Amino acid sequence: MSETADATEDGSWDDAGQYEVRLKGHLDPRWSAWFDGLILTEDSDGTTVIHGAVIDQAALHGLLQKVRDIGLPLVSVTRVDPNHPAVHQFDPR
Amino acid sequence: MTEPLLETKLYLPKLRPDVVARPRLSERLRRGAESKLTLISAPAGFGKTTLLTEWLAATPERAVAWLSLDQKDSRPATFWTYLITALQTVVPGVGAAALPLLQSADAPIEPVLTIVINELGAVPHDVAVVLDDYHVVESPDIEEGMIFLLEHLPSQVHIVIATRADPRLPLARLRARGELVEIRAADLRFSHDEAATYLNAVVGLDLTAANVALLGERTEGWIAALQLAGLSMQGRADVGGFIAGFAGNDRYIVDYLVDEVLQRQPDHVRTFLLSTSILERLNGALCDAVTQRHDSKAMLEKLEHGNLFVVPLDDIRDWYRYHRLFADVLQAHLLESRPDEIAALHVRASAWYQQDGDTSEAIRHAMAGQDFDRAADLVELAIPVMRRIRQEATLHGWLKALPADVIRVRPVLSVGLAGALLSVGEFEGVEARLQDAEGLLQGNGIGPANRPAEIVVANEEEFQRLPAAIALYRAAGALAHGDVPATVAHAQLVLDLSPEDDHLPRAAAAGLLGIAYWITGDSRLEAGHQAWAECVAGLYRAGHIADTFGCSIGMADIRRVQGRLGDAMRTYEQALAHAGAHGGPTLRGTADMYVGMSEICRERDDLPAALEHLRHSQELGEHLGLPQNPYRWRVAMAGVREAEGDLSGALELLNDAERVYRGDFFPNVRPIPAVRARLWVTQGSLEQALAWAREQGLSATDDLSYMREFEHVTLARVLLAQHTKTRDAAALQSAIGLLQRLLEAAEEGGRTGTVIEILVLQALGAGAVSDGLVPLERALTLAESQGYVRIFVDEGPPMALLLRAAAKDGIARGYVRRLLAALAKTETDRPIDQGLIEPLSERELDVLRLLATDLNGPEIARSLVVSLNTVRTHTKNIYTKLDVNDRRAAVRRAGELDLLPKR
Repeated sequence: MSETADATEDGSWDDAGQYEVRLKGHLDPRWSAWFDGLILTEDSDGTTVIHGAVIDQAALHGLLQKVRDIGLPLVSVTRVDPNHPAVHQFDPR
Repeated sequence: MTEPLLETKLYLPKLRPDVVARPRLSERLRRGAESKLTLISAPAGFGKTTLLTEWLAATPERAVAWLSLDQKDSRPATFWTYLITALQTVVPGVGAAALPLLQSADAPIEPVLTIVINELGAVPHDVAVVLDDYHVVESPDIEEGMIFLLEHLPSQVHIVIATRADPRLPLARLRARGELVEIRAADLRFSHDEAATYLNAVVGLDLTAANVALLGERTEGWIAALQLAGLSMQGRADVGGFIAGFAGNDRYIVDYLVDEVLQRQPDHVRTFLLSTSILERLNGALCDAVTQRHDSKAMLEKLEHGNLFVVPLDDIRDWYRYHRLFADVLQAHLLESRPDEIAALHVRASAWYQQDGDTSEAIRHAMAGQDFDRAADLVELAIPVMRRIRQEATLHGWLKALPADVIRVRPVLSVGLAGALLSVGEFEGVEARLQDAEGLLQGNGIGPANRPAEIVVANEEEFQRLPAAIALYRAAGALAHGDVPATVAHAQLVLDLSPEDDHLPRAAAAGLLGIAYWITGDSRLEAGHQAWAECVAGLYRAGHIADTFGCSIGMADIRRVQGRLGDAMRTYEQALAHAGAHGGPTLRGTADMYVGMSEICRERDDLPAALEHLRHSQELGEHLGLPQNPYRWRVAMAGVREAEGDLSGALELLNDAERVYRGDFFPNVRPIPAVRARLWVTQGSLEQALAWAREQGLSATDDLSYMREFEHVTLARVLLAQHTKTRDAAALQSAIGLLQRLLEAAEEGGRTGTVIEILVLQALGAGAVSDGLVPLERALTLAESQGYVRIFVDEGPPMALLLRAAAKDGIARGYVRRLLAALAKTETDRPIDQGLIEPLSERELDVLRLLATDLNGPEIARSLVVSLNTVRTHTKNIYTKLDVNDRRAAVRRAGELDLLPKR
């Protein structure tokens, strides 16, 4: 997945960021293409995290709509600070 | 709308035989049939549509209008058109008058809905409207309209919304008032019993209660999942093993189950499902084109028969769609397993849609297939149509989605983009696009044969018109920036370049010229009128009647300034006659014509006619007036009130006019503050009038220009009033000097209307009456044939004095006599002393005089062109001031006080 840019071409601030969208249920990594290339990671607690760079708020809401449309319950949406990433214990099966 | 109405969106889905009866939910829906709004809100696959279908089938006598929404319905005009059309399936002809109103770009929605609401109110039976998939509509404009609709819904109309996300409607308020029935996910989930019934009785499995429980737990009663599970288990030997495996993992249920279902399909079916998953809607011919088979129609019927999530969209088994969830999973599979085939699939779909005439779907698929050249070709071909039906915003969307280097080699698209940007008010980038196109046109032959390879043209006809189009867009851009000479130059170029029979661009260019000349004013008013006349003629030839009203207003305004009241009146009358002869619904701008006519009647002192025109204009409604009409109406009404002697009423209307004022392309040559300053002068509020002059920075020694002529004449009035009040000789001298200069300028510009007014002021400002007679006689000569009255009569007693002297001298005998009679009437109409502690106001006197007739409240309100509430307020005050308690007593007391006109 491409690197996040915090600044647009002319250097102004925008709301691009790294996001983690957590869903209840395991979603096969092959769904990544459907989610425009974001990374899917299955967690040991039965949830799946969709994570990666989201270019702005509109894109984030588009992503959430896709989640809504496939009917998987949304658990959380977290913006991740790239400088202090949260440490997760992944247990991929 | 680009495409014809899709009948399939209005199709009432038919009940499938294998549905589990859900009496507790049917009961809820039945209750919903009596409330304003029923909301079925749950994620995909919870059986919302099925539930509604079941409810419909149970009560076939009920009148239900159905609308299946899709993403395109986010455009308000599209949404409301479909909604009204859906209503027409159960109430024939409802809202027919409203539909054409939706075609103008920024039509306010409330007048449209009001028409529909009123007509629905007359329907003698209950009507339900179902909006399926409401969540795809994400427009704040539509939400506003829906809120309005809900607020004013007649009691026999019930709205049902099926959605995946709660709509932004006032749900809390509706809940509190008991006007909302809700069915949510928790209600829709299959209970254990319902799941058992479904799996065993409907699907035909023979599961133990324990197995049903396992399945129920795993799916949590999610109906789509149970359906897929059912499909996966049919004909399977080891059902128990399947359930154990299914229940024992965490995989996204739908994904897992669709995988299972897909695996059990023969290869050709699986391929069919994956290939066609890119389509919004499916029919045999389209699927054949995409899958390159010949048996798609039969395939679709088989899929439907096998309950494979294929939903019919009509009764003739022509069009289908996939259940959304199923389609989403299929698409995910396709993306992952056969990514390189996807582009080709889209291109085949695009080709089919193009041939079928559905341009917008063809473009959508071409873009999705990344075949931008194909998409660009299609957009080029679509440009003239999109412009004609005013869907510039859609065109803008398409062009924005094309890569810049595709557009750059296509001059038709570069210019199209420039036009689209202008139409949405984005001036950035317009010139650059025009230059891109020009660069390619430079020194190249017109014909395709000698065109350099790097230029791409898909629309030869449009290509031929490019030089004219470029000039037209430059003219529009120049006007927007206020560069009049450039506007004129470019507009003239359009006329030079366009053939005689190319009506629209010629008319557009003429219209721009008209505005440019109007702004230049001073000596080009006649040229402006001529330009607009050509614009109107061109528009008639092109069949664009609606746009002519704006030009007519400009033309009539010019005639009035030129002192040609008769011609101005004829301009309005002809515009109305033309529109009427053209047939079709009443057009936007009709209300403005009546306002214009009212002002001419007012000048000719035909106040009843003026009021009648204003009333007519008001009855037509806001949606039949152009954006400036609300302000113009109020200014015209203020003029009538002033003529009736109600100065405070007139001032209130002017203040109101200021609040609703909207600027547009036409220059504002009669600013409201100046009109108000004139009223202050008449009222004797000299200080306020002087303050106005100071605020506007006006002085008697300013350079004069047509744009500020009205203001300068107003200044002259203020100075004369100052002299009258304070004997300030300097003010008088300034006024005289200013008026002389104004006179010369107005005469040179042919602005006879202003000339008459200036002469009147000069007559009033002259020292001796005999000196005043010279300009007065000239004014009378110019004014008589046009029927001017108020321009003299508004000046009151000082003018009466001059007119009596003129009569003695035998000047314009008949005319002067009529003017004097009008002046006398104005005076006797106003009782000086009413003999009351608190005298009645002008408006109250008007109401009182009507109370003395047989008219009832609403009739009085209509007669005075005010609201019924206003009449009630006045009546209350009248009773208080006269110290009476009812109408008869008020009339009697009024008679005693001699307040009623003599019979």
